[in-house]
Amino acid sequence: MSDLNEILLEEEAAADCGCDEKSTFVPDADAVIVGTNLTKRFGGMTAVDCVDFELREGEILGLIGPNGAGKSTLFNLVSGFLPIDVGTITFNGVKISGLNPDRICHLGLGRTFQAAKNFPDMNIFDNIRIGALFGIKGKSYEQADIETEEIIKFVGLEKYLKMAVPDLPLAIQKQLEVARALATKPTVIMLDELMAGLNPAEVDEAMALVRKIRSGGITVLMIEHVMKAIMAICDRIIVLHHGRLIAEGTPDEIANNPEVIEIYLGGEA
Amino acid sequence: MTLFISILINGCVLGSVYALVAMGLNTQYGVARILNIAHGEFIILAAFITLDLVTKNHTAPFVGFAVAIPVVFVISFALHRTLYKRVKDISANDGAFEGNAILAAFGIYFIVQNLMQTHWGSATAAYQFMPYSVKIGPADISAGNLVVLLIAVLICIAYNLFLSQTRLGKAIRAAAQDPAAAAMLGVRINTIMALCFAIGGVLAACAGVLISMKEPFTSISGLGYTTIAIIIVVLGGLGSVKGAILGGFILGYVGFAVSVYDSGFMLSVFYLIVLVLLIVRPKGLMGR
Repeated sequence: MSDLNEILLEEEAAADCGCDEKSTFVPDADAVIVGTNLTKRFGGMTAVDCVDFELREGEILGLIGPNGAGKSTLFNLVSGFLPIDVGTITFNGVKISGLNPDRICHLGLGRTFQAAKNFPDMNIFDNIRIGALFGIKGKSYEQADIETEEIIKFVGLEKYLKMAVPDLPLAIQKQLEVARALATKPTVIMLDELMAGLNPAEVDEAMALVRKIRSGGITVLMIEHVMKAIMAICDRIIVLHHGRLIAEGTPDEIANNPEVIEIYLGGEA
Repeated sequence: MTLFISILINGCVLGSVYALVAMGLNTQYGVARILNIAHGEFIILAAFITLDLVTKNHTAPFVGFAVAIPVVFVISFALHRTLYKRVKDISANDGAFEGNAILAAFGIYFIVQNLMQTHWGSATAAYQFMPYSVKIGPADISAGNLVVLLIAVLICIAYNLFLSQTRLGKAIRAAAQDPAAAAMLGVRINTIMALCFAIGGVLAACAGVLISMKEPFTSISGLGYTTIAIIIVVLGGLGSVKGAILGGFILGYVGFAVSVYDSGFMLSVFYLIVLVLLIVRPKGLMGR
């Protein structure tokens, strides 16, 4: 009887989120983040609509889609900034939907924001040290300072240390945000439009940085509009359109997917 | 010359207490985003606690710190964890929360003020603290006021060291500048918000003990201090601790100078300063 009730409740939830049928999504064995049936509404607008997705260990996964497709909303759901209406998210098998962002950070998930959110009244070192101090509980000052120095070298921020944070060029602001997220020692990092607004040389640098992060054993999920970068560095790409996941595959598969071509080129393909 | 020295030192005394009052409100509004209309009530609560200790228990007024600080800390922390958390949960967004929090704070203002009136009555309360004066040059300055100045300055310095040197202080500064980013770096933002509200209360309690040492007060004096704190926060710049200290001393000097002629003009002159400032530099003296 209780089984029947559960099935009924699940069907009700699926109907409630407007999904055609209950999710039959089976994630890969090496998935670190799994989102099932994710739905988020703002008033009458459904920003994320019954999305199933997975992030596999060690990969660089690109999340693309036109403006307003729900990419940043999906990031906010995963990192705990927005409550989910329907669905669940797990991180290394632990359910993280419903947890606060600081708890999710402590579990090993770092992120950056579309518009860099560095602390303007702190210098570069202190900005990064906040991540080193609070990302993992009970770390000593000495240890945090050593790790901050390491990350400054890793990202390549040495020559900007004396500059005030609001005066930094855009590319460096974005690198600082990545550095700060890395200081929390994440196993997964989510990058929200790291390359938007950068010139071609800076895009190349940013691509090299993402590759370097993955080589260091960190799984990457990135929102990006710069197609050249996405196609070159991603192992897999997922495509959102009007809140729905419409395609998933390797860069080649995505580049040749008629539906993706249609939404990007406006129906002429 | 006598008048000048008197304004210089007494303005400093008044300014140091104002700075404490404003730092408290600034911590509550700048980090926890609660414009705490009841701030002054906790100042007066601490003043009454000290008055009882001095007049009934015959202790030194300094004991007031040991009693008032924990009392106000616990009340403020509990208020944030219950009332303001609930207000936050039911507010649609951050802007709505700020508006609703002011309304909730008004409720606390009436409750605390009425409880104080019931318990301590409406009469003016005061006790004598070091009732003799010290000669500084040609001017006679109250010894009690000099002690008040010394303690207030020490608290200001200690609070700044706390913010710049301790782990919790760094978390508070990060949360003040960008709460979302701080949370994503592992700062436990809900706890920090509640602590900031409670620390703001502690600064109010410190100011209350000092105010009881230097001047008479009543159970309805609180709103006057809240008003001055709001003016100083606007003057110094929202979220800026240094701005609160600078603004506090400016109002202290101006306030004392004006009160030499007629203390009734004090608030009008304060508002005039803010009015001019809002036109010339709307972000405040040290605001971003």
